[in-house]
Amino acid sequence: MSYDLFLGCVIPARLPYLEASARKVFEKLGIILKDVDGFSCCPDPTGIELIDHKTWLALGARNLSLCNNNGGVISFCSGCVETLKGVNYFINKDITVKKEVNKYLQKVGKVYEGNTAVKHFAEVLYENLDKVKETVEKPLEGFKVAVHYGCHYLRPSEIIEWDDPFEPVTVDEIVEALGAESVDYDLKLECCGNPLDKSDKDLSLQMIDNKLDAIQKAGANCVVVVCPACYQQYEFNQRELNKKNGTEYNLPIFYLSELVALAFGFKPQELGLNFHRVRPNALFENVGFKV
Amino acid sequence: MSVINFEFRNEVLKHNASLSYCYQCSTCSGGCPVALITEGKYNPRKIIEEAILGLQEKLVNEQDPNPWLCSTCQKCVELCPQKVELTEIFTLIKNQCFEKGKFPEAFSAQGQAVLEFGIAIPYSKAIISRREKLGLPSINTAPVEEIQTLLKETKFDKNITRGGD
Repeated sequence: MSYDLFLGCVIPARLPYLEASARKVFEKLGIILKDVDGFSCCPDPTGIELIDHKTWLALGARNLSLCNNNGGVISFCSGCVETLKGVNYFINKDITVKKEVNKYLQKVGKVYEGNTAVKHFAEVLYENLDKVKETVEKPLEGFKVAVHYGCHYLRPSEIIEWDDPFEPVTVDEIVEALGAESVDYDLKLECCGNPLDKSDKDLSLQMIDNKLDAIQKAGANCVVVVCPACYQQYEFNQRELNKKNGTEYNLPIFYLSELVALAFGFKPQELGLNFHRVRPNALFENVGFKV
Repeated sequence: MSVINFEFRNEVLKHNASLSYCYQCSTCSGGCPVALITEGKYNPRKIIEEAILGLQEKLVNEQDPNPWLCSTCQKCVELCPQKVELTEIFTLIKNQCFEKGKFPEAFSAQGQAVLEFGIAIPYSKAIISRREKLGLPSINTAPVEEIQTLLKETKFDKNITRGGD
Protein backbone atom coordinates (compact mmCIF):
# COMPACT_ATOMS: atom_id res chain seq x y z
CA MET A 1 0.00 0.00 0.00
CA SER A 2 1.32 3.45 -0.86
CA TYR A 3 0.25 7.08 -0.68
CA ASP A 4 1.65 10.45 -1.72
CA LEU A 5 2.55 12.38 1.43
CA PHE A 6 1.28 15.93 1.89
CA LEU A 7 3.09 17.45 4.87
CA GLY A 8 1.71 21.00 4.87
CA CYS A 9 3.41 23.74 6.87
CA VAL A 10 2.87 23.51 10.64
CA ILE A 11 4.11 19.95 11.21
CA PRO A 12 7.29 19.91 9.09
CA ALA A 13 8.29 23.53 9.74
CA ARG A 14 7.37 23.89 13.40
CA LEU A 15 6.67 20.49 14.96
CA PRO A 16 8.93 18.08 13.00
CA TYR A 17 8.97 15.57 15.87
CA LEU A 18 5.30 14.85 15.13
CA GLU A 19 6.31 14.02 11.55
CA ALA A 20 9.10 11.76 12.82
CA SER A 21 6.69 9.63 14.84
CA ALA A 22 4.18 9.39 11.99
CA ARG A 23 6.80 8.34 9.43
CA LYS A 24 8.12 5.67 11.82
CA VAL A 25 4.63 4.27 12.44
CA PHE A 26 3.80 3.94 8.74
CA GLU A 27 7.18 2.44 7.94
CA LYS A 28 6.66 -0.16 10.64
CA LEU A 29 3.23 -0.99 9.21
CA GLY A 30 4.75 -1.43 5.76
CA ILE A 31 2.71 1.42 4.30
CA ILE A 32 4.78 3.50 1.87
CA LEU A 33 4.52 7.28 2.05
CA LYS A 34 6.02 8.92 -1.00
CA ASP A 35 7.49 12.43 -0.69
CA VAL A 36 6.43 14.74 -3.51
CA ASP A 37 8.30 17.88 -4.58
CA GLY A 38 6.64 21.22 -5.16
CA PHE A 39 3.78 21.49 -2.69
CA SER A 40 2.75 24.92 -1.38
CA CYS A 41 0.73 25.71 1.76
CA CYS A 42 -2.46 23.60 1.53
CA PRO A 43 -3.79 26.52 2.17
CA ASP A 44 -5.11 26.84 5.73
CA PRO A 45 -8.91 26.31 5.93
CA THR A 46 -9.01 28.57 9.02
CA GLY A 47 -6.76 31.20 7.40
CA ILE A 48 -6.48 31.76 3.65
CA GLU A 49 -9.88 30.16 2.93
CA LEU A 50 -11.64 32.65 5.17
CA ILE A 51 -10.11 35.67 3.46
CA ASP A 52 -10.02 34.45 -0.15
CA HIS A 53 -11.91 31.33 -1.18
CA LYS A 54 -10.77 31.39 -4.83
CA THR A 55 -7.10 31.59 -3.84
CA TRP A 56 -7.67 28.70 -1.45
CA LEU A 57 -9.23 26.67 -4.28
CA ALA A 58 -6.48 27.53 -6.76
CA LEU A 59 -3.55 26.65 -4.50
CA GLY A 60 -5.30 23.56 -3.14
CA ALA A 61 -6.08 22.29 -6.66
CA ARG A 62 -2.48 22.95 -7.72
CA ASN A 63 -1.26 20.81 -4.83
CA LEU A 64 -3.66 18.01 -5.75
CA SER A 65 -2.57 18.23 -9.39
CA LEU A 66 0.94 17.16 -8.30
CA CYS A 67 -0.30 13.87 -6.80
CA ASN A 68 -0.25 10.84 -9.06
CA ASN A 69 -0.35 7.92 -6.66
CA ASN A 70 -3.23 5.49 -7.21
CA GLY A 71 -3.72 5.23 -3.46
CA GLY A 72 -4.21 8.98 -3.31
CA VAL A 73 -2.68 11.45 -0.90
CA ILE A 74 -2.33 11.23 2.88
CA SER A 75 -1.70 14.01 5.39
CA PHE A 76 -0.83 14.10 9.10
CA CYS A 77 -2.81 17.35 9.51
CA SER A 78 -6.60 17.73 9.81
CA GLY A 79 -6.42 21.22 8.31
CA CYS A 80 -4.60 20.05 5.19
CA VAL A 81 -7.02 17.13 4.88
CA GLU A 82 -10.03 19.42 5.13
CA THR A 83 -8.59 21.74 2.50
CA LEU A 84 -7.72 18.98 0.05
CA LYS A 85 -11.04 17.18 0.56
CA GLY A 86 -12.82 20.54 0.39
CA VAL A 87 -11.21 21.50 -2.92
CA ASN A 88 -12.32 18.15 -4.36
CA TYR A 89 -15.82 18.75 -3.00
CA PHE A 90 -16.23 22.22 -4.52
CA ILE A 91 -14.67 21.25 -7.85
CA ASN A 92 -16.86 18.17 -8.23
CA LYS A 93 -20.02 19.90 -7.02
CA ASP A 94 -20.00 22.75 -9.51
CA ILE A 95 -18.62 22.63 -13.06
CA THR A 96 -18.20 26.42 -13.12
CA VAL A 97 -15.89 26.21 -10.07
CA LYS A 98 -13.87 23.48 -11.80
CA LYS A 99 -13.55 25.65 -14.92
CA GLU A 100 -12.57 28.75 -12.95
CA VAL A 101 -9.95 26.84 -10.95
CA ASN A 102 -8.47 25.32 -14.10
CA LYS A 103 -8.40 28.74 -15.74
CA TYR A 104 -6.03 29.78 -12.94
CA LEU A 105 -4.01 26.54 -13.12
CA GLN A 106 -3.57 26.93 -16.87
CA LYS A 107 -1.42 30.02 -16.18
CA VAL A 108 1.13 27.75 -14.51
CA GLY A 109 0.73 24.88 -16.96
CA LYS A 110 -1.28 22.62 -14.69
CA VAL A 111 -4.67 20.99 -14.74
CA TYR A 112 -6.75 19.29 -12.05
CA GLU A 113 -9.79 17.11 -12.70
CA GLY A 114 -10.81 16.49 -9.10
CA ASN A 115 -9.95 12.78 -8.87
CA THR A 116 -7.24 12.49 -6.22
CA ALA A 117 -8.43 10.60 -3.14
CA VAL A 118 -7.48 12.31 0.15
CA LYS A 119 -6.97 10.58 3.50
CA HIS A 120 -6.19 11.61 7.05
CA PHE A 121 -3.46 9.47 8.62
CA ALA A 122 -5.87 8.35 11.35
CA GLU A 123 -8.23 7.07 8.64
CA VAL A 124 -5.46 4.87 7.29
CA LEU A 125 -4.51 3.67 10.78
CA TYR A 126 -8.14 2.79 11.44
CA GLU A 127 -8.41 0.92 8.14
CA ASN A 128 -5.37 -1.11 9.28
CA LEU A 129 -6.52 -1.54 12.87
CA ASP A 130 -5.82 -5.29 12.99
CA LYS A 131 -2.29 -4.73 11.80
CA VAL A 132 -1.86 -1.93 14.33
CA LYS A 133 -2.98 -4.30 17.10
CA GLU A 134 -0.59 -7.03 15.94
CA THR A 135 2.31 -4.58 15.89
CA VAL A 136 1.89 -3.41 19.50
CA GLU A 137 4.95 -4.46 21.50
CA LYS A 138 4.41 -2.38 24.63
CA PRO A 139 0.72 -1.97 25.51
CA LEU A 140 -0.01 1.47 27.00
CA GLU A 141 -1.35 0.15 30.29
CA GLY A 142 -2.42 2.85 32.73
CA PHE A 143 -2.69 5.53 30.04
CA LYS A 144 -6.03 7.25 30.62
CA VAL A 145 -6.40 9.13 27.38
CA ALA A 146 -8.76 12.02 26.68
CA VAL A 147 -9.36 11.80 22.94
CA HIS A 148 -9.73 15.21 21.32
CA TYR A 149 -11.06 14.68 17.81
CA GLY A 150 -10.97 18.33 16.82
CA CYS A 151 -13.48 19.84 14.43
CA HIS A 152 -11.90 19.47 11.02
CA TYR A 153 -11.22 15.74 11.35
CA LEU A 154 -15.01 15.26 11.39
CA ARG A 155 -16.87 18.25 10.01
CA PRO A 156 -18.39 19.30 7.69
CA SER A 157 -19.34 15.66 7.26
CA GLU A 158 -20.48 16.28 3.69
CA ILE A 159 -16.88 17.16 2.81
CA ILE A 160 -14.92 14.94 5.23
CA GLU A 161 -17.01 11.78 4.71
CA TRP A 162 -15.35 9.94 7.56
CA ASP A 163 -16.57 8.82 11.01
CA ASP A 164 -19.63 10.41 12.66
CA PRO A 165 -19.68 14.22 13.07
CA PHE A 166 -21.08 14.00 16.62
CA GLU A 167 -20.48 10.42 17.76
CA PRO A 168 -17.07 9.53 16.40
CA VAL A 169 -15.36 6.25 17.33
CA THR A 170 -12.24 5.86 15.17
CA VAL A 171 -9.59 7.51 17.32
CA ASP A 172 -11.03 6.00 20.52
CA GLU A 173 -10.77 2.55 18.96
CA ILE A 174 -7.19 3.12 17.82
CA VAL A 175 -6.23 4.30 21.33
CA GLU A 176 -7.84 1.24 22.89
CA ALA A 177 -6.11 -1.03 20.38
CA LEU A 178 -2.84 0.23 21.88
CA GLY A 179 -3.86 -1.02 25.32
CA ALA A 180 -4.74 2.45 26.65
CA GLU A 181 -8.08 3.48 28.12
CA SER A 182 -10.12 6.18 26.37
CA VAL A 183 -11.69 8.36 29.07
CA ASP A 184 -15.00 10.00 28.28
CA TYR A 185 -15.30 13.66 29.31
CA ASP A 186 -17.65 16.60 29.13
CA LEU A 187 -17.13 18.85 26.07
CA LYS A 188 -15.37 16.02 24.21
CA LEU A 189 -16.64 17.15 20.82
CA GLU A 190 -16.06 20.85 21.41
CA CYS A 191 -13.57 23.00 19.53
CA CYS A 192 -10.13 23.63 21.07
CA GLY A 193 -10.43 27.32 20.17
CA ASN A 194 -7.23 27.55 18.13
CA PRO A 195 -8.69 29.34 15.08
CA LEU A 196 -9.89 32.19 17.33
CA ASP A 197 -6.30 32.93 18.26
CA LYS A 198 -6.13 35.14 15.16
CA SER A 199 -9.13 37.30 16.07
CA ASP A 200 -9.59 37.12 19.87
CA LYS A 201 -6.86 35.61 22.04
CA ASP A 202 -8.94 35.78 25.24
CA LEU A 203 -11.84 33.79 23.77
CA SER A 204 -9.40 31.29 22.33
CA LEU A 205 -7.86 30.79 25.78
CA GLN A 206 -11.24 30.50 27.42
CA MET A 207 -12.20 27.67 25.08
CA ILE A 208 -9.07 25.64 25.77
CA ASP A 209 -9.38 26.38 29.50
CA ASN A 210 -12.88 24.86 29.49
CA LYS A 211 -11.65 21.78 27.67
CA LEU A 212 -8.62 21.22 29.91
CA ASP A 213 -10.80 21.65 33.00
CA ALA A 214 -13.29 19.02 31.77
CA ILE A 215 -10.46 16.64 30.89
CA GLN A 216 -8.83 17.02 34.28
CA LYS A 217 -12.15 16.48 36.09
CA ALA A 218 -12.71 13.25 34.13
CA GLY A 219 -9.46 11.85 35.51
CA ALA A 220 -7.52 11.55 32.25
CA ASN A 221 -3.72 11.57 32.57
CA CYS A 222 -2.98 12.64 28.98
CA VAL A 223 -4.64 13.95 25.83
CA VAL A 224 -4.38 12.66 22.26
CA VAL A 225 -4.92 14.87 19.21
CA VAL A 226 -4.82 14.37 15.44
CA CYS A 227 -4.32 17.98 14.31
CA PRO A 228 -1.28 20.26 14.77
CA ALA A 229 -3.48 23.31 15.46
CA CYS A 230 -5.20 21.48 18.32
CA TYR A 231 -1.79 20.19 19.45
CA GLN A 232 -0.36 23.69 19.73
CA GLN A 233 -3.49 24.99 21.43
CA TYR A 234 -3.25 22.31 24.16
CA GLU A 235 0.54 22.23 24.48
CA PHE A 236 1.43 25.90 24.32
CA ASN A 237 -1.33 27.36 26.50
CA GLN A 238 -1.24 25.30 29.69
CA ARG A 239 1.57 27.32 31.24
CA GLU A 240 -0.04 30.60 30.17
CA LEU A 241 -3.38 29.60 31.69
CA ASN A 242 -1.68 28.51 34.93
CA LYS A 243 0.03 31.89 35.17
CA LYS A 244 -3.11 33.81 34.29
CA ASN A 245 -5.76 31.91 36.23
CA GLY A 246 -3.84 29.98 38.87
CA THR A 247 -4.84 26.63 37.35
CA GLU A 248 -2.46 23.68 37.65
CA TYR A 249 -2.61 22.08 34.24
CA ASN A 250 0.20 19.67 33.53
CA LEU A 251 -1.28 17.29 30.97
CA PRO A 252 1.02 15.64 28.44
CA ILE A 253 -0.37 16.12 24.92
CA PHE A 254 0.37 13.31 22.48
CA TYR A 255 -0.08 13.23 18.74
CA LEU A 256 -1.88 10.01 17.82
CA SER A 257 1.21 8.87 15.90
CA GLU A 258 3.35 9.34 19.04
CA LEU A 259 1.10 7.09 21.12
CA VAL A 260 1.11 4.47 18.37
CA ALA A 261 4.91 4.73 18.05
CA LEU A 262 5.38 4.30 21.82
CA ALA A 263 3.18 1.20 21.77
CA PHE A 264 5.18 -0.10 18.77
CA GLY A 265 8.28 0.07 20.97
CA PHE A 266 9.98 3.24 19.70
CA LYS A 267 11.98 5.16 22.31
CA PRO A 268 10.90 8.65 23.45
CA GLN A 269 14.32 9.96 22.42
CA GLU A 270 14.02 8.86 18.78
CA LEU A 271 10.50 10.33 18.65
CA GLY A 272 11.71 13.69 19.93
CA LEU A 273 9.33 13.62 22.92
CA ASN A 274 11.90 15.83 24.69
CA PHE A 275 10.65 18.70 22.50
CA HIS A 276 7.26 18.66 24.23
CA ARG A 277 6.59 21.57 26.57
CA VAL A 278 4.71 19.32 28.98
CA ARG A 279 7.11 16.41 29.37
CA PRO A 280 5.50 12.99 29.60
CA ASN A 281 8.24 11.53 31.87
CA ALA A 282 6.17 11.77 35.06
CA LEU A 283 3.27 10.00 33.35
CA PHE A 284 5.56 7.17 32.22
CA GLU A 285 6.81 6.75 35.79
CA ASN A 286 3.35 6.93 37.35
CA VAL A 287 1.89 4.21 35.13
CA GLY A 288 5.08 2.12 35.13
CA PHE A 289 5.70 2.48 31.40
CA LYS A 290 9.33 1.44 30.83
CA VAL A 291 11.02 3.59 28.21
CA MET B 1 -29.62 53.09 10.30
CA SER B 2 -29.58 49.77 8.49
CA VAL B 3 -29.88 50.02 4.72
CA ILE B 4 -31.03 47.07 2.65
CA ASN B 5 -28.66 46.30 -0.19
CA PHE B 6 -30.50 44.04 -2.63
CA GLU B 7 -27.45 43.63 -4.80
CA PHE B 8 -25.51 42.21 -1.85
CA ARG B 9 -28.40 39.94 -0.92
CA ASN B 10 -28.62 38.60 -4.45
CA GLU B 11 -24.89 38.09 -4.61
CA VAL B 12 -24.92 35.96 -1.47
CA LEU B 13 -27.91 34.00 -2.77
CA LYS B 14 -26.23 33.49 -6.14
CA HIS B 15 -23.20 32.00 -4.43
CA ASN B 16 -25.15 30.03 -1.90
CA ALA B 17 -28.88 29.51 -2.37
CA SER B 18 -29.13 27.63 0.92
CA LEU B 19 -29.36 31.03 2.62
CA SER B 20 -33.03 31.27 1.60
CA TYR B 21 -33.93 28.07 3.51
CA CYS B 22 -33.27 29.65 6.91
CA TYR B 23 -36.36 30.05 9.09
CA GLN B 24 -34.46 31.58 12.01
CA CYS B 25 -34.98 28.70 14.45
CA SER B 26 -31.65 29.46 16.16
CA THR B 27 -30.45 25.88 16.36
CA CYS B 28 -27.11 27.18 15.03
CA SER B 29 -26.67 29.67 17.87
CA GLY B 30 -27.82 27.12 20.43
CA GLY B 31 -25.00 24.77 19.41
CA CYS B 32 -22.35 27.42 18.83
CA PRO B 33 -19.47 27.26 21.35
CA VAL B 34 -18.56 30.90 20.75
CA ALA B 35 -22.14 32.11 21.21
CA LEU B 36 -22.08 30.23 24.51
CA ILE B 37 -18.96 31.84 25.93
CA THR B 38 -19.77 35.32 24.59
CA GLU B 39 -23.32 35.03 25.95
CA GLY B 40 -24.79 35.60 22.52
CA LYS B 41 -22.62 38.54 21.49
CA TYR B 42 -21.40 36.32 18.69
CA ASN B 43 -24.54 34.95 17.09
CA PRO B 44 -24.56 32.91 13.85
CA ARG B 45 -28.34 33.17 13.48
CA LYS B 46 -28.09 36.94 13.44
CA ILE B 47 -25.41 36.93 10.75
CA ILE B 48 -27.68 34.78 8.57
CA GLU B 49 -30.64 37.07 9.30
CA GLU B 50 -28.64 40.12 8.25
CA ALA B 51 -27.50 38.32 5.09
CA ILE B 52 -31.13 37.43 4.20
CA LEU B 53 -32.10 41.05 4.73
CA GLY B 54 -29.17 42.31 2.67
CA LEU B 55 -27.65 44.38 5.47
CA GLN B 56 -24.21 44.63 3.90
CA GLU B 57 -23.25 47.75 5.86
CA LYS B 58 -23.86 45.96 9.17
CA LEU B 59 -22.13 42.74 8.10
CA VAL B 60 -19.12 43.98 6.21
CA ASN B 61 -18.42 47.47 7.56
CA GLU B 62 -19.74 47.43 11.13
CA GLN B 63 -19.13 43.68 11.48
CA ASP B 64 -21.96 43.34 13.99
CA PRO B 65 -21.92 40.47 14.94
CA ASN B 66 -18.23 40.05 14.24
CA PRO B 67 -17.92 37.25 11.63
CA TRP B 68 -14.26 36.71 12.57
CA LEU B 69 -15.34 35.21 15.89
CA CYS B 70 -16.55 32.02 14.19
CA SER B 71 -14.19 29.24 15.32
CA THR B 72 -15.03 27.25 12.13
CA CYS B 73 -16.04 24.23 14.27
CA GLN B 74 -18.82 23.51 11.72
CA LYS B 75 -21.30 22.37 14.38
CA CYS B 76 -23.93 24.81 13.09
CA VAL B 77 -23.69 23.31 9.60
CA GLU B 78 -24.24 19.81 10.95
CA LEU B 79 -27.09 20.86 13.26
CA CYS B 80 -29.08 23.06 10.87
CA PRO B 81 -32.47 21.40 10.18
CA GLN B 82 -32.71 23.34 6.91
CA LYS B 83 -29.23 22.45 5.67
CA VAL B 84 -28.17 26.06 5.43
CA GLU B 85 -24.44 26.09 4.64
CA LEU B 86 -23.65 28.66 7.31
CA THR B 87 -19.87 28.57 7.27
CA GLU B 88 -19.79 28.84 3.47
CA ILE B 89 -21.96 31.95 3.75
CA PHE B 90 -19.71 33.30 6.52
CA THR B 91 -16.71 32.71 4.25
CA LEU B 92 -18.38 34.74 1.51
CA ILE B 93 -18.97 37.61 3.95
CA LYS B 94 -15.41 37.43 5.30
CA ASN B 95 -14.05 37.38 1.74
CA GLN B 96 -15.88 40.68 1.16
CA CYS B 97 -14.42 42.07 4.39
CA PHE B 98 -10.98 41.04 3.10
CA GLU B 99 -11.48 42.82 -0.21
CA LYS B 100 -12.31 45.97 1.74
CA GLY B 101 -9.26 45.56 3.97
CA LYS B 102 -11.38 44.91 7.08
CA PHE B 103 -9.90 41.79 8.61
CA PRO B 104 -7.76 40.89 11.64
CA GLU B 105 -4.07 41.58 11.18
CA ALA B 106 -3.08 37.98 12.03
CA PHE B 107 -4.57 36.79 8.72
CA SER B 108 -2.32 39.24 6.96
CA ALA B 109 0.85 37.66 8.34
CA GLN B 110 -0.12 34.19 7.08
CA GLY B 111 -1.13 35.50 3.67
CA GLN B 112 2.08 37.53 3.30
CA ALA B 113 4.16 34.45 4.13
CA VAL B 114 2.37 32.38 1.48
CA LEU B 115 2.90 35.20 -1.04
CA GLU B 116 6.59 35.48 -0.19
CA PHE B 117 7.55 31.83 0.36
CA GLY B 118 4.69 29.74 -1.06
CA ILE B 119 4.26 28.23 2.41
CA ALA B 120 2.77 29.64 5.62
CA ILE B 121 5.83 28.91 7.76
CA PRO B 122 9.28 29.21 6.17
CA TYR B 123 11.93 26.71 7.31
CA SER B 124 14.26 28.32 9.85
CA LYS B 125 17.87 27.16 10.27
CA ALA B 126 17.01 25.75 13.69
CA ILE B 127 14.17 23.68 12.26
CA ILE B 128 16.27 22.44 9.35
CA SER B 129 18.91 21.19 11.79
CA ARG B 130 16.26 19.69 14.07
CA ARG B 131 14.81 17.85 11.07
CA GLU B 132 18.26 16.44 10.30
CA LYS B 133 18.72 15.28 13.88
CA LEU B 134 15.34 13.55 13.75
CA GLY B 135 16.39 11.79 10.53
CA LEU B 136 13.80 13.63 8.42
CA PRO B 137 14.31 14.40 4.72
CA SER B 138 14.71 17.93 3.40
CA ILE B 139 11.60 19.34 1.77
CA ASN B 140 11.42 20.81 -1.73
CA THR B 141 8.48 23.19 -1.60
CA ALA B 142 6.71 24.94 -4.47
CA PRO B 143 8.62 27.25 -6.81
CA VAL B 144 7.75 30.68 -5.38
CA GLU B 145 7.32 32.32 -8.83
CA GLU B 146 4.64 29.77 -9.72
CA ILE B 147 2.67 30.50 -6.55
CA GLN B 148 3.05 34.24 -7.11
CA THR B 149 1.69 33.88 -10.65
CA LEU B 150 -1.42 32.19 -9.24
CA LEU B 151 -1.83 34.76 -6.46
CA LYS B 152 -1.59 37.55 -9.03
CA GLU B 153 -4.33 35.89 -11.11
CA THR B 154 -6.67 35.75 -8.11
CA LYS B 155 -5.66 39.32 -7.10
CA PHE B 156 -4.67 37.97 -3.69
CA ASP B 157 -1.31 39.73 -3.94
CA LYS B 158 -2.92 43.19 -4.06
CA ASN B 159 -5.50 42.55 -1.35
CA ILE B 160 -3.02 41.03 1.10
CA THR B 161 -0.37 43.70 0.56
CA ARG B 162 -2.89 46.41 1.44
CA GLY B 163 -3.18 44.81 4.90
CA GLY B 164 -5.94 44.45 7.46
CA ASP B 165 -7.33 46.44 10.40
